Amino acid sequence: MSTHTTNGKYGFLIDVTHCIDCRACNVACSVQNEVSMDSTRIWMNGTGVVGKYPDLQSFTAPFHCMHCNDPSCASACTVGALTRDHDGIVRYDEDRCIGCRYCIYACPFQVPNMDLNETMPLIVKCDMCGDRLDEGEQPACAATCPPGAIQFGRREDMLAEANRLINENPGKYIHHIYGEHENGGTSTFYISPVPFEELGFPIPGATSSAYYNRLVTHGTPAVFGAAAVSLSGIYLTIKNVQEETAEEARAAVIRSAQAAESARAAERAAATEEEA
Amino acid sequence: MTNLTISRRNFLKMSGAAVGALVVGQMLPAPIAKAAQEAGLLDENMTGYVTSMCEMCVWRCGLRAKIVEGRVVKLDGNPDHPHSRGKLCPRGQSGLMNTYDPDRVLTPLIRVGKRGEGKFRPASWDEALDLVASKMMAIKEKYGSEAMVFSSTHNLSQLQFENLLNAFGSPNYGTQRSLCFNAMIVGNLMTYGMEEPARDYSDTEYIILTGRNLVEAVSTSETGDLMAAIHRGAKMVYLDPRFTRTASKADLWLPIRPGTDLAFHLALLHVIIEEKLYDHDFVANHTVGFDKLVATVAPYTPEWAAAITELKATDIETVAREFAAAGNKALAHNGWRTSNFENSFQTARAIASLNALVGNWGTTLLPASGGHGGGALGLPPQPPYPRASATRLDGVPWKYPLVPFKLGVFQELRNAIISGKPYQAHGWFISRQNPVQSLPDRTRTLEAMGKMDFIVTVDIFLNDTAWFSDVVLPEASYLERYDPLHQIGNRVFIRQPVIEPQGDAKSALWIYKQLGERLGLGDYFQYIDEEDFIRQQLAPVGASLEELRKKGYLDLEEHEGEVDLFHWNTSSGKVELFSDVLDGAGFAPTAAWQEPPMPENGRFYLLTGKIAQHTQFATQNNQLLHKYQDEPRLWMNPKAAENLRLADNDIVRVTSDVGEVNIALNVTEAIRPDCVYMTPGFGHISKGFTTGYGVGASDSVLHVTYTDPISGGQALSQTFVTVQGI
Repeated sequence: MSTHTTNGKYGFLIDVTHCIDCRACNVACSVQNEVSMDSTRIWMNGTGVVGKYPDLQSFTAPFHCMHCNDPSCASACTVGALTRDHDGIVRYDEDRCIGCRYCIYACPFQVPNMDLNETMPLIVKCDMCGDRLDEGEQPACAATCPPGAIQFGRREDMLAEANRLINENPGKYIHHIYGEHENGGTSTFYISPVPFEELGFPIPGATSSAYYNRLVTHGTPAVFGAAAVSLSGIYLTIKNVQEETAEEARAAVIRSAQAAESARAAERAAATEEEA
Repeated sequence: MTNLTISRRNFLKMSGAAVGALVVGQMLPAPIAKAAQEAGLLDENMTGYVTSMCEMCVWRCGLRAKIVEGRVVKLDGNPDHPHSRGKLCPRGQSGLMNTYDPDRVLTPLIRVGKRGEGKFRPASWDEALDLVASKMMAIKEKYGSEAMVFSSTHNLSQLQFENLLNAFGSPNYGTQRSLCFNAMIVGNLMTYGMEEPARDYSDTEYIILTGRNLVEAVSTSETGDLMAAIHRGAKMVYLDPRFTRTASKADLWLPIRPGTDLAFHLALLHVIIEEKLYDHDFVANHTVGFDKLVATVAPYTPEWAAAITELKATDIETVAREFAAAGNKALAHNGWRTSNFENSFQTARAIASLNALVGNWGTTLLPASGGHGGGALGLPPQPPYPRASATRLDGVPWKYPLVPFKLGVFQELRNAIISGKPYQAHGWFISRQNPVQSLPDRTRTLEAMGKMDFIVTVDIFLNDTAWFSDVVLPEASYLERYDPLHQIGNRVFIRQPVIEPQGDAKSALWIYKQLGERLGLGDYFQYIDEEDFIRQQLAPVGASLEELRKKGYLDLEEHEGEVDLFHWNTSSGKVELFSDVLDGAGFAPTAAWQEPPMPENGRFYLLTGKIAQHTQFATQNNQLLHKYQDEPRLWMNPKAAENLRLADNDIVRVTSDVGEVNIALNVTEAIRPDCVYMTPGFGHISKGFTTGYGVGASDSVLHVTYTDPISGGQALSQTFVTVQGI
């Protein structure tokens, strides 16, 4: 397992039961970040209408960059255009980007995209509205979400709130905080009444490909040169993404979710004992 | 083509660069920016924040615009405004695209081709206004003031629009309300003596939503309140033939047969009365006609309603008992566009009676906060209006005695223009409205326009109605102009320009004054400019425009004297379960069953309903909303599609008694098998909409005109259609 767990400063908590699919987040993001009409930083994922009339259900959730603790995209980027900063924001520097698209293939969440109508297409992805954060404002999506489905704050507070909501509302949510362990942990957490596969969320493993990349880069003699290192990293990244099948990935996530749940159960037991 | 694509994709960025360059190139800041600088809102680089009010729908959220070098780059909700509380819906967020739309009309236009050819030439304001005034005067002199028809939609400048038509002396005024919520409003007037009681979700435990798809028809604060109530554990029951996003949040979705909401509510009344579950004190002290209601609803058992509604009798009983058990924490939403069948007035009455029975007045249902409470704002002085020159063409009150004048019956006005009875109209003045898309039966609307000697439209776009007009007057967008002030309770909000008007666009306050002066009605427009108008509004309350501009709102002093919560503006002063007024007019005095028509074999109910990304007929050209909308298709249940051998995405022809459209099919479980649904507002025919033109199909082409004789509401879902593959 990976050992990379730094605590980012910022985080999102997205409650699937609150999302009304109004797409205010999509529009707000496009305006704030001047996203072109043919690309987006936020998608609306969903189950679609499931069931047979009249026994139907439907859930939706906005999906954007998860801001991984150990981002695969940053590991795959050969020019350092993608980096995770001290706030936990995975940032993109368009001045460094050479348009190689390695990050697109590396990201297990399928987040980085580009507007292919552009002559020199650049990567389009969420940066938590860094400019707004500098002015003391919430990211555009969280600030405007009419039902308050997108919360934004300190990463650990968001995680604690996700746990609280799951524990205090038995039966309302499945016992899985998406983003807590996925790809080695992220700064975006989702809670949902239905499994995340059903919402069309990618199911990556619990270990970031960046971890395997480091095994390679740390164990390879320098004589092969930086380019070869990067390329092997890319190769392994893609290989890793392909090989970690959804089945294995789900098992890993469920294992970690179970571990987290037993830890929470132990905490609750301890708390009960204390009260008694 | 490539150039077009690039300019479209990067429009927001490019407009910024262009406007920025323009500002830098000027020697002195433009008047609005200068005033904003003086008010301390913008710095020397014309950068900062200005508060104003949204106009992407009629909810009027407060907004805060971020301005960088004289252009608006982002809109956010104003946290101080009760309708937005810091948030905006997708339409509100897209508002600057509306303003920076390359399709904006930025100079007056005078038609040069045939009507509908879309050939116009630009004109100066003087030429266009002189032309409009001379045409209006000619019609007045030849046929009388009543031959000029005026129509406009709910907006803040309506005050001055009404001033213009009243001063001109025409009785003929068309609003959109008969196409929207006449049934709900007249129902409330007859029961509570007020148009629309306010709803409070903060303590609500049980909510019934009828004809109110509140999760998709987003009113930012109310939608947020509903979602908060649901998450607090309030139970929500939702009646709709479609599984909408509101249905997906409901504890109980009841896919009721269209037109039978009334039967459902009558059965609720029956159970609550039969089982004595009502609030005895409230009913005894604050209502009249309970005994008559008891007698009326006696036959309306859950079993009776089950057969009509195609719901389970047990579900109806359960809802009745749970609703009554929640008592004054229950809320039956009084609906919005329940004007879907001719019996919708009775539905509104039944809902109003249901609320009264559980005594929720003062907890979940409250007196409307309205715009008229608190200290009084002033207005410029003006002489009294001339007497209206004739009766109204729309039949109010001579045919529709209970419909308030300010609501009117727009679709009947259109019909009277065609028939020429009781007299022939010759001119049409339209402001911020698009009757070609909004009125039922588009063919007839275009026929009515063909009867006109002269049509003038005020809008920011060359919308479908402007396309068929003789003169188009370009209005400044809501981010570029002042409007008369808006009062909510004791708080007054301002819509102020956050950027310079583009091109030659002008505010409605300016346009109506200019026209008024040319029509010899200058005494009705005694203000120098927009700021002077607002200063005169503020004069009696002793507040300054500068102060208001800076904060975006001001609080008036509390009203003196206690308002009696338990006195209603009805003839009895109580909540009227039985109405003498209705009785006297020859209508059912208590909520009573009225059989709706049903489609015969092979036809479907045609449903329409809102989506979160668009407002009526006005926003389909907005590129940002276009970007994130679903493709507008015709919903059909898989069973029905199978019977017709149709598949998802097939292009089908939809035919009603009055028209037909072609549209792609969306085969979905989310609709009753006897219904089809299409999103209203699409199918624009104006080529002045380069993004919206030809996208989807128009429901107005298909809608048959049916008017409820009591409320004047257009029965929008009473149109039945056939669907076939092509």
